Amino acid sequence: MRIAIAGKGGTGKTTIAGTLARALARTGREVLAIDADTNPNLASVLGISPERAAEIATLPRNLMQRQTDADGTTRVVFTADPEALIREFAIRGPDDVQLMVMGKVGHGGAG
Amino acid sequence: MEAGLEHLSRGTGKHVGRLIAVLEPYYRSMETARNVAALAMELGIPDVVVVANKVRDADDRRAIADFCGAHGMRLVGEVPYDPRLAEVERSGGAPIDGAAGSPSVVAIERLATPLASEAAMPTLH
Repeated sequence: MRIAIAGKGGTGKTTIAGTLARALARTGREVLAIDADTNPNLASVLGISPERAAEIATLPRNLMQRQTDADGTTRVVFTADPEALIREFAIRGPDDVQLMVMGKVGHGGAG
Repeated sequence: MEAGLEHLSRGTGKHVGRLIAVLEPYYRSMETARNVAALAMELGIPDVVVVANKVRDADDRRAIADFCGAHGMRLVGEVPYDPRLAEVERSGGAPIDGAAGSPSVVAIERLATPLASEAAMPTLH
């Protein structure tokens, strides 16, 4: 199940997202938390230390590409296998929650 | 995700099963959540729900319920305003560790299983 959390700045999205991730992991689920903020700070709410968080690799700029289908719909697609990306770029925190930070990802293609 | 609607409007929300719009009981926050929810539904996200945060009293609850009712927004959770949370976050710690058992943390934990389930979530009102 993929869950997105959105809302006005300061409403508590990060607090809720991170706490939910830990709570879900405690029910036995595998949890991947993705911080898509350009000022990423999901790590601290997950209980990951600043030192450890600093080790998170920057995702390469050509990771995703904008692709336009024949009917004109535009999609953003991964140029690499997501499983491999998780293995390479995610770090594990308390309760085994994995964290990926997307903030620095660039898009190839127009726009 | 970022506060604004940029991510959603770029289509990066595809394949998302559920979107939670977080709001606080004041107009601008609720308006943003309304826009977020509308955009999410337009993008075809199957389940769009609202969680209210930093809820203090009956007046807050009423304002939220009225707004959600007026705009067809599905309120599924309320997280109370919790000063213990502010304390923990000031020190940079995880709320689930530093404020374990505190009302806000308990409210969030209670949402975990229903949020991750494929079944539609029950609304509060």
